[in-house]
Amino acid sequence: MKKQYTLFALLLVVSMLLAACGAPAAEQAADCKSADVFCVGLVTDVGKIDDKSFNQSAWEGVKQAEKDLGAKVQYIETTDAKDYDKNIATFGDEGYDVVVTVGFALGEATGKAATAFPNTYFIGVDQFLEAAAPNQAGLNFPEDQAGFLVGALAAQMTKSGKIGGVFATDAVPPVWRFGEGYRAGVAYINPELEVNIVYHNDVGFDKTFVDPEWGATTANSMVDKGVDVIFAGGGKTGNGAVIAAAQKGIYAIGVDTDQYYTIPEAQKMLLSSAMKLITPGVFDLIAAAKDGNKQSGNVYGKAGYAPFHDLDSQVPAEVKAKMEEIQAALLDGSLMTNVAPVKP
Amino acid sequence: MSEPVEKENKGQALKSVLNSLMVPALAIITATIVGGIVIAVVGGNPFAAYSGLLQGAFGSVKAISETAVWATPYIFAGLAVALAFKGGLFNIGGEGQLALGATTAAFVGYALPAWVGYEMPTIVLLPITIGAGIMVGFIWGAIPGALKAFTGAHEVINTIMMNYIALNIVSFLMNGPIKDKDPLNVIARSPLIAEGARIAPIFDNLRVHWGFVLALLAAAFVWWLLWKTTLGYEIRTVGANPDAAKYAGINVKKIMTFTMGLSGLLAGLAGTIEVTGLNYRHELGFSSGYGFDAIAIALLGKNHPGGVVMAAILFAAMRNGATRMQFLTQIPVDIISVIQALILLFIAADSIIRYIYRVRQSGEKVVLTRGWGG
Repeated sequence: MKKQYTLFALLLVVSMLLAACGAPAAEQAADCKSADVFCVGLVTDVGKIDDKSFNQSAWEGVKQAEKDLGAKVQYIETTDAKDYDKNIATFGDEGYDVVVTVGFALGEATGKAATAFPNTYFIGVDQFLEAAAPNQAGLNFPEDQAGFLVGALAAQMTKSGKIGGVFATDAVPPVWRFGEGYRAGVAYINPELEVNIVYHNDVGFDKTFVDPEWGATTANSMVDKGVDVIFAGGGKTGNGAVIAAAQKGIYAIGVDTDQYYTIPEAQKMLLSSAMKLITPGVFDLIAAAKDGNKQSGNVYGKAGYAPFHDLDSQVPAEVKAKMEEIQAALLDGSLMTNVAPVKP
Repeated sequence: MSEPVEKENKGQALKSVLNSLMVPALAIITATIVGGIVIAVVGGNPFAAYSGLLQGAFGSVKAISETAVWATPYIFAGLAVALAFKGGLFNIGGEGQLALGATTAAFVGYALPAWVGYEMPTIVLLPITIGAGIMVGFIWGAIPGALKAFTGAHEVINTIMMNYIALNIVSFLMNGPIKDKDPLNVIARSPLIAEGARIAPIFDNLRVHWGFVLALLAAAFVWWLLWKTTLGYEIRTVGANPDAAKYAGINVKKIMTFTMGLSGLLAGLAGTIEVTGLNYRHELGFSSGYGFDAIAIALLGKNHPGGVVMAAILFAAMRNGATRMQFLTQIPVDIISVIQALILLFIAADSIIRYIYRVRQSGEKVVLTRGWGG
């Protein structure tokens, strides 16, 4: 008995000592408060930093700021939604100059933090702001342009002249813009082409984004009707359609980020993805802020299309050239998609 | 050297308390050491990591407040599981009971004042909101309790099944009928509850709210209920030996149903307090996994309310301190889950700990659950 208590006490003391003599990284905390050090922090939504999607893309923008602007960068992964406030405040308290918060879900917490930390500049990715503090920007993306680009690509790559689109629901504005931008992009190349666009409006909101079976069946039935390119968007529903299309051996087009990395099952037939260019969007805002030009309110980033990866050899050079031309025209505003922001 | 003196001074009671704390404490220490090795293996500095963890959990007033914020639902949910264990029942359904309680409170908190048409004072609206949340928790717990009592259907299976039902109901409600109708909102969350349905923070500028105090009171209440009342005696007797309880004239079926109901009520309270005290709404990303963490907390706390409070604070400190740890060292927060899992492993397989530290078996053996129709 005695032995155990002694051992127990000893262990306790040793563990406390070990904990106490651990090097506190205080020097790190100190310098972000000074004016000469430019610090950028990032808070993820309930997802990992290497999610190959929004969080990772935003973090790459921050990393670029580290490389090009000499910024000191750091991230915090959120494990529970109630920690948004705390995690953002961690950077605020340390005197970070810029804090990037990723995803719509952090919008409210970001707004609160912008008021609480007036000296910190907040960039909310995918956060549309009704009212913004002067030190807060919401970075949004022209989904219609991304859809337009892949629509133009699909129209140039189709052989059957039949093009398909499978989307979650037109009641959610970004999804609507992807879908209608796609339709406009096809028409821009060739208005004679047959476009089949289906929104999964027949079910409730609880199902519409998480119905890969529906996505797959819809894609399959399109293939049976002769469709040979399918663009799909809307969470798991869209992913289901992308996988089904790829399995049927027709071109599939992903959404939001380069889905070559998020849907490995579809890699062989994944032509491209309609992308929100989060990395440059985040970087540009950070760079502008460093130069003292903090843009506030809603800021629009750029849309793009993902590399062709495995299918690169199948895309003719003139198509590649045409795509670059369209992207440039969309960027400088000489080409408009004419898609309404929400379903009329 | 001081051992003989100590031996004389220490009363028997203190010794037994120390004895029961021995295995959990050693489990925590061992898990910390093994966790430190894991951190070192993946290339981190375990000392920097743990010092960051401590700083984040207790390093400032704000940090302590956040730890209390995390501890609040853990205490309620841990009590829920511990109470069921005392009654010989394994409530794995905390997750569903919690989510339904939270959803109910979130719904009542915004819909009732809107329906009544005027701003209701806190003294009226808050009790109704909390009452509705825990009522649903009670029912959701009592159903598997009654199924067990009257048909012998095992509560482990049924509470797991009921989790799926509950979580899908909540997901449906959050995406549809009670989704925040704000045109800018794209995520599955309910609208903010009315001012009158909110629990106030204890201090200005800190998030810790009176729900934490309520959680401590709930722990005291569960202790009083279990050890100072006839009902508690009946619950413990049914838990220890249902056959003996039956022959002693205890209505076993009623007690089983009621115990599970009470357990569900406490889990529902965890969700209700999160909504009324902290988030002011429910969202699908909130409070996921608390029902399962609660099982670990109850086991670590040896199913004693006091132990549950301590275990809940420990888990809360780890969850809360993890942010600071990651901020300072970039060690992934997932390491916390590893350490928590190790603690649980060493508690569950306590012969490992007893073997390593040569601790003898003492006291009552905890009956976690029994077989079909037991």
